[in-house]
Formats: sequence, structure tokens, C-alpha cells
Amino acid sequence: MNNNSGNPTPRATRGKKASKFKSANKLRKFKDLLTKILLIAAIIIVILPFFMIVFQIGIMGLQIFLSSGHGNGLEFIFTTPGGDLTGGILNAIVGTLLLILIAGAVGIPLSIFGAVYITEYSRPGLMRSAIEFASDVLAGIPSIVFGAFGFVFLVVYLRIGLGMVAGGLTLAFMMIPSTLRTTQEALKQVPRELREASLALGATKWSTTWNITIRAAFPGIITGILLSLGRIMGETAPLIFTTGNNLGLPTDLMGPGSWVASMPYTIWAYISDPRSYLQVKSQGTALTLLIMVLMIDATAQIVSRKVTRRVV
Amino acid sequence: MTDSRLNEKQQQSDGSHEPKTRAYGSVANVKRIIQNIKRMSRSKKIDISGKILLFLPTVMSISIIVLIFTFLWIEAFPIFVAPEGGIGIITNPIWNPNDGQYGILVFIAGSFLCTILAISIAVPLGVGGAVFLSEYCPNSLRRPIRMIVEMMAAIPSIVYGLWAYLVLVPTIETIFNVQNGLSVLAGGLILAIMLLPTVVAVSDDALQSVPRTYREASLALGATKTETAIRVVLSAAIPGIGAAIILSLGRAVGETMAVLMVTGNTLQIPYTLFDPTYVMTSIITNQLGYAFIYPLWRSALFAVALVLLLMSIMFTSIAKILIKWGIKSRGLA
Repeated sequence: MNNNSGNPTPRATRGKKASKFKSANKLRKFKDLLTKILLIAAIIIVILPFFMIVFQIGIMGLQIFLSSGHGNGLEFIFTTPGGDLTGGILNAIVGTLLLILIAGAVGIPLSIFGAVYITEYSRPGLMRSAIEFASDVLAGIPSIVFGAFGFVFLVVYLRIGLGMVAGGLTLAFMMIPSTLRTTQEALKQVPRELREASLALGATKWSTTWNITIRAAFPGIITGILLSLGRIMGETAPLIFTTGNNLGLPTDLMGPGSWVASMPYTIWAYISDPRSYLQVKSQGTALTLLIMVLMIDATAQIVSRKVTRRVV
Repeated sequence: MTDSRLNEKQQQSDGSHEPKTRAYGSVANVKRIIQNIKRMSRSKKIDISGKILLFLPTVMSISIIVLIFTFLWIEAFPIFVAPEGGIGIITNPIWNPNDGQYGILVFIAGSFLCTILAISIAVPLGVGGAVFLSEYCPNSLRRPIRMIVEMMAAIPSIVYGLWAYLVLVPTIETIFNVQNGLSVLAGGLILAIMLLPTVVAVSDDALQSVPRTYREASLALGATKTETAIRVVLSAAIPGIGAAIILSLGRAVGETMAVLMVTGNTLQIPYTLFDPTYVMTSIITNQLGYAFIYPLWRSALFAVALVLLLMSIMFTSIAKILIKWGIKSRGLA
């Protein structure tokens, strides 16, 4: 304003400036609106594929559940393929559950103990950041590299042979980094005062950790475990070279009897097959897998939501 | 002998002065520690043994990365010293193992092109979506959208691949009127869809960690909501968003099944978007099974895996550096 005082025709300039301001403001408001519309379009495009995939896989997959005959309808879930692969996918469902069981039995304790050690026992420094870096790198490794490694290390070098042990262990390697990091986050969120109160009452570090800290972080840990179990459930590449395939149910823990099928592998094998009825079965398997994975994920999210609600 | 004893004595005397730098390696100290443990109560014993028990799994879970690197190196080594191979395979475009040609440039180029295409689609959309989610979205809508994004990340890659193979590829064929929809374009599109949840979720976290006060200060100065979101919040969150982009780059290069199913797997460097291609992950998946009995062929495939591993380590390191830069320059986690 003061700068304008020396101007010979202050009123006129001011009027011009005001109108300039007005139009500039209009432009800014217009830009504001335009950006908002663009961003809304972006978020719609982002989430649109989710509905398309669920809808289209759902329609394609329902075909097999709605038709009748051998291997269709509910028989699709409760029978093994049999000759000519006309039956259901019980072998794949059981195989996936077995693989998850082995992966969980190995991976969950390793990652939880690791996370407890890092957060509760180690001091921040080189060691801790090295472990965190290693698990971040491990989380970023492509799944086919895990598969090739599992094949060379477990199947060939350790002579475990193809089968559910080798496949389960490969999946365990894959779930360790994500479970470790989420457990670590859950432990970090437990308030210091809880630990200090327990230690002040004379409890040892060990009993404080297991009776107080872990218990307080439990829902967060469960969420992490469910999320990573859901993730490894759909992994195909690590299993191609480690599990073999099986049209029946596995009968043994070692040797050729332990070869298992899995749902992701079955989808891939059936869609690569030229026989057209196998393509339909592949879509049905995909729908089954999708529903199972989304249910696990939804459970994990509900658990974590309840927790945040309780804490906040 | 005498030297080591002298050292031991020195260490012990040092230890008495400064208990923190006591050397645990010497015999006397070990004895003392054992005596101490014997004198402990039961709960204290559990405490000590628990600490050691926890340490082992930690080392084991970390040693996996060392094992992976070692075994890939051992397996890939023969091709690097063989006369047909050498380090030159990285720049040789001809892959014909039956003829002693082990060039892996085709696969590197294929992966590179698919990744570039995917990133250039996913980053603008994903960051835009994250800005909307974090700055404009009403709270009642924010939670379900976030949930959908997380669920998108959970969909298995084989399901994405199946969908792309059955829906996306025919769509490309009809829209662009091409004979073969299995192409770089299909691979890039499905990769972009698969990357979106990562980009949105990580960018949204980065935007959310920008303090409220920044936004309020900007709005109080008369800036519009858009100016605040883009000039203030987005620029403050740049390191986190950079980390999101780099992380999704790593994911794009390493994605296996979906890309395998839709890129057509043809040994050529693509010149248009509609040419089929062959990516690094696909060649391992397709050929490791029967190449295993040919030492050099197998070794070349493991060289591809080693390149993938090194790339993912590089991406993770860059993302970590970006996050550190964010903490240093802006105080944001």
C-alpha cells in the first residue's frame, strides 16, 4: 500500500490491481478445483482395478461352482483331480495349507524371536541397523530368486529333495523379513512405562518381555503374521522348483511321497494347458485362492483396527 | 606365549579399572562368569539363557541373505570364467544356449522397458491418489479406500496374471487392433496396477507424517488447499515419496508370474509397445527346470538371478538413503 502512495493516479491503479487480484483469485480457485477433480480421478483409477479383478475373476470362477457334474459344484473343492484332471482341486488346497503350516512353524518363531532380540535386548547401533538393513533387503528380493535359491540350497545342496519341506522352508525364508519388521513395529509401540513398571517390581528382563511386552503387542504381532501368511499363500515362483506336483495328497514328509500341489501352481499349470476345461478349473482355483487371501487380509485389518481403537 | 599372558594380565588390570571394557575372551574371565552364573538364582539363569536363545534365531534369520548371496555367486561363477561367457554376457544380446551364446542383454532390456512403462503409469496416478487420500479425502471415505488399497497389495500375483491374460490381453487386441496382445504394453499395464498399492500406501504414509502445523501455516497465509497440498506438504514429503518410487521399482523388476503370463516370452529386444518381450524373471522360471543338467546354461540363469539380487539390494539401499535424507533434512520419519 505504501508503495502506491507516490503514484499519480492511485485510485485507477488500485482499481486495476483489485480486478487483477480478483481474476488471479479466480484463476487460483479454478486451479484448486481442477486439481481436486484430477486427484479424484486418480484415486478412482487406482482402486478401479480392484473391483474389476474381483468382479471378473468372480464371474469366471463361479462358472465351475454353478455347473453340476463330476468335479463341478462343491465337488470342485472336495475331490482330487484324478485321471484326466476332471476332478476338483482338493490336492492344491491341502497342499497350500500344509506349505503354510510348515512355513509358519519355522518362520513365525524365528522372526518373532529375532524381533524381540532386536527391540528388547540389542542397543541401537551398528548391529541393530545391520539386522534391519538385512531384513529390508531380504524383503525386496524377487520371489523367483528365492525359488532358485531354495532349489539350489535346500533341494540340491542339503539334499532335502523336492517336496513340502523344501517348499515350506523357502516360503518361511520369504515370510521372515515382513513378520520380523511388523513384530518390531508392534513392540516399539508398547509404552516404556509398562516395561519400567514391571522391572521396578523386580521382574527379570525375560519375564518382563514375555509376560508384559509381548502381551501388550500381541494384536499387532498377530496382524503381521496374518498379513505375511496371506502373502506367501499366493506365491508361485518359489514353489515351481521346490515342491514338485502331486495329483493326490502327500503321504510322506520326505521323498517322492512328500511332493505337493499348491493353488498358485495349479492355476499356472492349468492355464498353460491347452485343454479348455482346465482353463475353467484354473479360473475356479483363482477365485478360491482370491477369496481365501482376501479373507485372511480382512481379518488382519480388523484385528489391527481394533487395536488402534483400543490404544487411542 | 608370554606375550599373550602379559596381554591377559593387562586386560585383567584394565578390567578392574574400567569394568565396561573388560575382555570376556580370557580364561580367568570365563571362569569368573561361570561362577557368577552358578551363584545366580533360577530366574536370573533363565534370563541369561533366554538372551542367548533369542540371539541364535536373529543370527539365523539374517544369515539367509548371506546364504542366498553365496549360493547364487557359487552357481553363477562358472559362466563368468568360461570362454563362452565372461562378464560380457551382460552386453551380448544373443541368447542361444544350444549354440554356446549366453547373452542376457535381451532380458535386461525387456525388464527395463516393462519397468519404465509401469513406473511412468503408476507413479503419477499413485502419488496423485495418495495426495487426495491424505489431503482432501473426508475421514469416512479414507478408511475404506485405504482398506481397498491394502487388499490390492494382498492379491496374489498369479491372480493378477490370470486376470491380465484373460481380460487385459484380449482388450488390448480389440482396442489397438493388433494380432498378438501379449506384449510390453500388457506387461507394463499389469505391473502398473500391481505397483499402485505400494506407491499409494507408502506415499500416503509419507504425506501423513508431515506435521499439521505446516498445513495450517500455509493455509493461514492465504494459500488455497491445492497450493498447500502441492507446494508445502508434497515437497516436505519428497524423500518418503522417493522411497516409495524406488521400492516399487524394485518390486517391478522382480515381479515374476504376472509378467511371465502376459509378455509373450519372445527372444527379441522390443521396438514398439506391441512387441512381445522376455524379462529376467521369466527366463529363470521357464528354463531353470530343464537347464539344470547343462552346467553353463544353468550358470547363466543364475547369473541372471544374481543381477536381480544386486538390483534389489541397490534399490533397497537407495530407498533407505532417501528415508535417512528425509529424517536429516526435514525431521520426518
